[in-house]
Amino acid sequence: MTGNTDTVTDARHETASDDATEKPEDDAPTFRGDDLVVGYPGTDEPVIDEESVVAAPGEVTALVGPNGSGKSTLLKGLADQVDRDAGTVLLDGEDVDDIGTKALARSVGLLSQENVAPDSLTVRELVEHGRYPHRGFFDGLTESDLSAIDRAIDLAGVDHLQDREIGQLSGGQKQLVWIAMVLAQETGVLLLDEPTTFLDLHHQLQVLDVLETLRAEGETTIVVVLHDIQQAARFADYIVALEDGSVYDWGPPGDVLTEQLLADVFRVDAVVEHEPLRVSPRRALDDGSD
Amino acid sequence: MAEERVETTGRARSGARFDWLDRSLVGLCLGSLVVVVAGGLAQARFGSFDMTVSQAFWAVFNPDVVLNAQTWRAFLLGPDFPVLGAELPEMNRRSLIVWNIRIPRVVVGLLVGANLAVSGAIFQAVTRNELASPFILGVSSGAGLLILLTLVVFSGLATFLPLIAAVGGALAFLLVYAIAWQNGTSPVRLVLAGVIIGTVFQSLQTALFFFADDIGVVQTAIAWTTGSLTSVDWEQVRMALPWTVLATGLALLGARQLNVLLLGEETAQSLGMDVERVRFGLSGVAVLAAAASIAVAGIVGFVGLIVPHVVRNVVGSDYRALMVGCLFAGPALVVAADVGARLGMLAITGSLGQLPVGIVTGLLGGPYFLYLMRKQGQIGEF
Repeated sequence: MTGNTDTVTDARHETASDDATEKPEDDAPTFRGDDLVVGYPGTDEPVIDEESVVAAPGEVTALVGPNGSGKSTLLKGLADQVDRDAGTVLLDGEDVDDIGTKALARSVGLLSQENVAPDSLTVRELVEHGRYPHRGFFDGLTESDLSAIDRAIDLAGVDHLQDREIGQLSGGQKQLVWIAMVLAQETGVLLLDEPTTFLDLHHQLQVLDVLETLRAEGETTIVVVLHDIQQAARFADYIVALEDGSVYDWGPPGDVLTEQLLADVFRVDAVVEHEPLRVSPRRALDDGSD
Repeated sequence: MAEERVETTGRARSGARFDWLDRSLVGLCLGSLVVVVAGGLAQARFGSFDMTVSQAFWAVFNPDVVLNAQTWRAFLLGPDFPVLGAELPEMNRRSLIVWNIRIPRVVVGLLVGANLAVSGAIFQAVTRNELASPFILGVSSGAGLLILLTLVVFSGLATFLPLIAAVGGALAFLLVYAIAWQNGTSPVRLVLAGVIIGTVFQSLQTALFFFADDIGVVQTAIAWTTGSLTSVDWEQVRMALPWTVLATGLALLGARQLNVLLLGEETAQSLGMDVERVRFGLSGVAVLAAAASIAVAGIVGFVGLIVPHVVRNVVGSDYRALMVGCLFAGPALVVAADVGARLGMLAITGSLGQLPVGIVTGLLGGPYFLYLMRKQGQIGEF
């Protein structure tokens, strides 16, 4: 796995070697969690017990698993949003606990599963909030803030909604706007918690298109929780499959997504075809065996 | 397309700092200003010493008073202020009555309204609760309890009542915060702790009424606990003004933080906000504003609950606009209500009795709020 990542990174360096020497800051950051133990106050057993995850720099890592397998908890642990009981999260080799909250928010962006905003807020105003970590207490919006906001709105494809109020948008449009807000944060690491769940097909694909664009640019390290295994197969470079708080397997989709995994982790009988990778679930397996 | 982009960018750029300053906000502020001025002139004209409209007008705008630096030093700094303090200069009888008795009452009403509206607006965002008011986190019950204790048990301390009331409110707030704190707070835990503390203190306060031995003490206590502007003068202005300026200034500066808090704790945190610190700091500002108003007028209810809603209904939920709107609409409600409190009995029964202003804010604000609620299905939502 590690060797694999290196070759990919090296290949990217070769093709864009000029760029890389000119603007080394464009390099996607490395991001990993080591031996993470994450739980919630009031529960005895941690949800995630000593697991490690490495996000491939500049690529898309998808966390998959059934409901309650700890995908979101792991993501929140990585984002420093819940207190870790043990383990470290390293951003470019630096422990995130040593980075201030605001500085961390300039490097790691998180889109939560559920988001609320006042209905009368306009789309542009919401996206502006993405610049929060870049602004001082008294600062107005600078030129670079404004261009980041424009770029985020453009990238998320919500130009035409800029002046609309959040309350007037559909669920799918709202999600794209929230993605624009996280993009305006201009972080090297982007963590997305089930960004496509509850959206209609059209908006699901729009969200995934944004991911595709970012992946093609190769400057952002993305970790995304996906509910839909088919989407993970298609859009992720690496898949981390979680079962009951533990990492069952990880690697490129072609290696990870096997009929065995679908039976063990997702408890479905499925057929997996390769080239192109296709997962066709057939029926749910009996729960009785547990 | 390229042109369009430039245009949007240009527009955002030109107004990046004040793009929330729109027509509805300006309209609201001007409307409130009219109410305040009209209320102020009514207060100046009517009363036990009657004058005609023009007499009242010239008493108010008497150049000898308005353009005299010494009067302002006497009003705003008082005779005892070091170096810059001054005694009130000579003025004619009408100006003396208007400027010494009637106007300060309007000014105190103005400060109370601004403080309560801003305080309520902050608490509504901090607790993410539309029913929040300045008194949701125990402030009123703490102040009320100490007021009763002072009047009934420690009557020797009655001269310090304003300070004691304000301190009582702040202490109750800290108690609520401490109870709600478990590795951090949450809006729900804060509100629950506030309600419980409020209930306990309220019971104690009611119990203390039984120990009051004469009707005068009870009336004083009621005036304090429902809020009254009777017999306030420039001393109360001097007491409240610095804190009002400080609290409202901080509230205006904190508006952007409140906007981010409205996006929910998780989002605020992932944007790099230290949520606990910001929440505590802004709650502190709101308590300071509420305490300043309690010290001069007692516990005036309702203003802090409805004014933010009314303003939000007009200008939207952007706190930068909302705060400015509250600074105008709050004073308008209290000044208008105080006209009713001071002159209502005179108009209805011909007697000179006065009501606590807190009763009138409820009588005036309540129906208006219900009217808005019926007309606009959305009121109460952020």
